[in-house]
Amino acid sequence: MSLLKSEWRKLVYVRAHWGLLIGAVVLAGFGTAVTPIILDSNSATFGLALDQQTAVDSVYANAISSYIFAIIIGIMLMSGEFRHGTAVATFLTAPKRGTVLANKLGIAAIGGALVMVISTAAGIAAGWVTLSFFENVAEPSSGVFVNTMLAAVVSGSILGIVGVAIGTLIRNQMLAITGSLIYLFVVDPILLTLVPDAGKWLPSGLITAMLALDIQAPELGIDTANYLPPLTATLVLLGYGVVFGVVAIATSLRRDID
Amino acid sequence: MNAAISFTNLVKTYGGQNAVDDLSASVNQGRITGFLGPNGAGKSTALRCLVGLAAPSSGSAQILGVPYRELENPLSKVGTVLDSRGFHPALTGRQNLRVVAAAASIPEVRVDEVLEMVELSEAANKKMKKYSLGMKQRLALAGAILGDPEILILDEPANGLDPAGIAWLRKFLRMLAEGGRTILVSSHQLAEMQHTVDDVLIINKGKLIAAGTKEQVMGPDSLEDAFLKLTGGSLS
Repeated sequence: MSLLKSEWRKLVYVRAHWGLLIGAVVLAGFGTAVTPIILDSNSATFGLALDQQTAVDSVYANAISSYIFAIIIGIMLMSGEFRHGTAVATFLTAPKRGTVLANKLGIAAIGGALVMVISTAAGIAAGWVTLSFFENVAEPSSGVFVNTMLAAVVSGSILGIVGVAIGTLIRNQMLAITGSLIYLFVVDPILLTLVPDAGKWLPSGLITAMLALDIQAPELGIDTANYLPPLTATLVLLGYGVVFGVVAIATSLRRDID
Repeated sequence: MNAAISFTNLVKTYGGQNAVDDLSASVNQGRITGFLGPNGAGKSTALRCLVGLAAPSSGSAQILGVPYRELENPLSKVGTVLDSRGFHPALTGRQNLRVVAAAASIPEVRVDEVLEMVELSEAANKKMKKYSLGMKQRLALAGAILGDPEILILDEPANGLDPAGIAWLRKFLRMLAEGGRTILVSSHQLAEMQHTVDDVLIINKGKLIAAGTKEQVMGPDSLEDAFLKLTGGSLS
């Protein structure tokens, strides 16, 4: 418990982490708030209109778009130790590195989940407010809110763990964050669009699959017909978490601390 | 006399070069031992191996008869200052120590006690990035004594300190030594060391070249003269 408390303090004392939470709320809120406006003004192009349940579901599903912030929190928790030299104090206090890493992974999972739950809730609220200004809006499907919040918790915690693993492998914080941004915003969507059979196994495809949406709108970059079933996607994403967690612990055990 | 710290045939290799080369030495309990050597002699590397931050290529380094990683609650036995880094610049001095205290299950009240001991109480809520080098060194010392350890390992604690800071450090080390602690301190301040240490270890190019009481190593010379003779006249 003492190491968890120490890692929790590292999470809440650093103001940059609060900045990330605010960034996640703003991105999710803004992204979800503008989606109905875009859909309404381009309904012919997208083949979706707000009087269709699928369109309303896709609006609320957009609330989960801040998952990059969960990964950044994990990266900062780990690579920050090397950037600022605090790894020295950390491993002098608790020299059993596997235990330290296990606690850090736990706090990164909690931090990532909190960021995603709060930002997703803000996104859903923003989407609801915007939709209230339109007439003839369909009711959302019964499971969309539960599925979205579950996906937020699972993806946030796993991406927090993935972030810590990236931070152990790439100790340069800026390089780790920039690389992750490029992967999640450029490489992953391209693979998802160009090679959907492979892309559906990657993080973006898995997170979208967890929402259990049924949307065929390639113009929006979403076509869920070929995605994995939600439970399978959740298990695969958990598998990513386990693999990255093991990599993080194994890497930290071997390397010297500068 | 019991050895509090021991190096046994310690070797640490980086890129084919031995930074520490077959180092065998011991530090006796209750003594202040100066760990001296030119820049690049391998002092910091040996100390990093000693506290488990770097893995020895061969040989071993032990504290109280076991590797550092096997010490139960190590902060209660060993306090370490390796450099002025080690604390998060965006956190206050108190927050930095509270992070360490939580990990070692040290009561919160102890954080304020050690801040007072190193005369940082007034700067406790100031962000570490706004500290002067001297204040950072004092915060590092506060972190080292947080667990009230019996052994202190200090790597160049006087680096970058002004004369007032060095005088403060001398007084502080003496106060700690009077409590019967074992202190292993590396430093370039040879004149200062002569007035502070009981025993001396001198290494050069990773190898131990002299060990003993200060008087044995110095002979009739000053510590600086003895050091220059042993290391071939080079301080760097």
